[in-house]
Amino acid sequence: MSEVDMAVIKPEIMKSYIWLQTVDGSIQQVEQEIAMFCPMICHEVIQKSMGSSKNYAISLPQQVNPAMLSLILDYCRFHQVPGRSNKERKSFDEKFIRMDTKRLCELTSAADSLQLKPLVDLTSRALARIIEGKAPEEIREIFHLPDDLTEEEKLEPLKNATDDPRIRLLNRLYAKKRKELKEREKLKNVEVDEELVDDRSVDDLLSFINGDDGDSKGIKTSKSKKKNRRRKDLQKSTSAHEATKNHNKESNGLNSVCRSAEVGQILPRVGATTNLQDVEDDIFPNKNEFDDGDIDDEIDPTLKEKIDREVEDFARRLNSDWPERMQEILSLGQEKKPVHLSLNGKGS
Amino acid sequence: MEITRILPDECQSLIISLTSPADACRSAIVSHAFRAVAYTDAVWEKFLPSDYRSILSGSSSSSLLSLGKKDVYFHLCFHPILIQNGTMSFQLKKESGKKCYMLGARALSIIWGDTPSYWTWKSLPESRFSEFAELKLVWWLEVKGMIDIRILSSNTNYAAYLVFKLRNRRTIGFRHRAVGLHINVGGITSREVRRVSLDPSQNEIQHVRQREDGWMEVEMGEFFNECGDDGTVQLSLREVDTSYFKQGLNIEGIELRPKDTDS
Repeated sequence: MSEVDMAVIKPEIMKSYIWLQTVDGSIQQVEQEIAMFCPMICHEVIQKSMGSSKNYAISLPQQVNPAMLSLILDYCRFHQVPGRSNKERKSFDEKFIRMDTKRLCELTSAADSLQLKPLVDLTSRALARIIEGKAPEEIREIFHLPDDLTEEEKLEPLKNATDDPRIRLLNRLYAKKRKELKEREKLKNVEVDEELVDDRSVDDLLSFINGDDGDSKGIKTSKSKKKNRRRKDLQKSTSAHEATKNHNKESNGLNSVCRSAEVGQILPRVGATTNLQDVEDDIFPNKNEFDDGDIDDEIDPTLKEKIDREVEDFARRLNSDWPERMQEILSLGQEKKPVHLSLNGKGS
Repeated sequence: MEITRILPDECQSLIISLTSPADACRSAIVSHAFRAVAYTDAVWEKFLPSDYRSILSGSSSSSLLSLGKKDVYFHLCFHPILIQNGTMSFQLKKESGKKCYMLGARALSIIWGDTPSYWTWKSLPESRFSEFAELKLVWWLEVKGMIDIRILSSNTNYAAYLVFKLRNRRTIGFRHRAVGLHINVGGITSREVRRVSLDPSQNEIQHVRQREDGWMEVEMGEFFNECGDDGTVQLSLREVDTSYFKQGLNIEGIELRPKDTDS
């Protein structure tokens, strides 16, 4: 049966009441459905069977004086009715909290002691609105708070807020950068990326073959020698296509090494690597193929640069994914050199 | 009647947490007792984004989780932390606690970015990331980025900014020339492309601004994020007129941060 039905059919005396006692000793009876809206009262009734008569009145917490109880019951009386719309409830709430700050605080405390969360939220929001945007002196005045902080203490939160972000950021970044560079040095010697490894080891070998002492300059020239060699190889072998991360050891060991290496994108590598042994066996039988490598030294720099670039582009093409390749082909207008186009004639 | 005597601490914390970070700081200099409330974790946890824990655990600064919530908040406001394997950075806007992200150059897709004769990657302390992109020379300038809308703060007006520098003596192709900046939210392609010069002359309207971290920025576009729908924001910088080449641009990344609607 609905509440309305009950009120019509049952006379007043049949309504159930809860007996409540406030801290000043006064006792009153409240309709059950209204009082039970408060979780604390609900708990007392159900768990402890209290509140059924005057002698067993529920003792309310000390924060709930008769005035506060009256306000709380007004709130419960309105909200416990199920049929109300959200608009109605909101409108009631807005009118309800129109009271002075002191009362709002007391009401918050009383509602909190009865665990009536919706009312606590309502009054807290109202108090928050009062605090918002106010200067500390104003807050002190409204809530009667003492000015008991020292000057130093007052400056403390401001210190946080006016931190110069740029200086702190830079300091942190410098420290971080130093750390990262150190770690990178360590990683270089440990990394087992096969493609990069092949690159370095070939250079070492070639410089060894060509009698260089393997310092950075020597490595650079042998690198371009290798690139030129690679160009020859690539032009020769038109089947050198879809080898992206191809690590197959073919009969011509050096070809596979060249094809799978990324050119010019890696920081110079220092130190021998574990794959050196594997590659050596493949390369040394083919040593004779590269005896004519010495003539590369005589190519003039501009042509060399052109060739380097072409090789880089071509190697990149081999190693890039198809969608990216499509994009490259579409943006081919970027390339202005006719020489480059001939390389594309391979028809990939 | 002292509020601190009438109200229990949890109520006081609740009230302050319903204000704002700025109000909480102001409350902290009201009185001794009020400061104690204003500094509680209960207050600052409300100001932090709801997913701050998972963001921090996935970052390089997970040790921050051991700090008090107020300290976490302020740290995140002033020190961008690196996430997503160091390719993105995250911080908070101090007034509101809303999330700001920067996609580092490595998180972007730079056409020709892997070809050393066109772009190189530098490591310098001036960048917050381990690397930034340095343009050597291109005819086809195209940089794209993408970010998941769900990671942004809801009910916020966001703007995207290209964070960059021009190496003055070596800059070609940007002075008096515009580039195309474009953002596309959740697949809605109705946005126009903004044509802005990254190197404007004195007479032109200055869209480019100096940042606090030493880089420059230019706004790419703005949008209102209501409640983190599924989808992504696509960002792009594009200048593909191949009749002239471009040189001398350094890209730190693209930043997304809340923008006041009236600024």
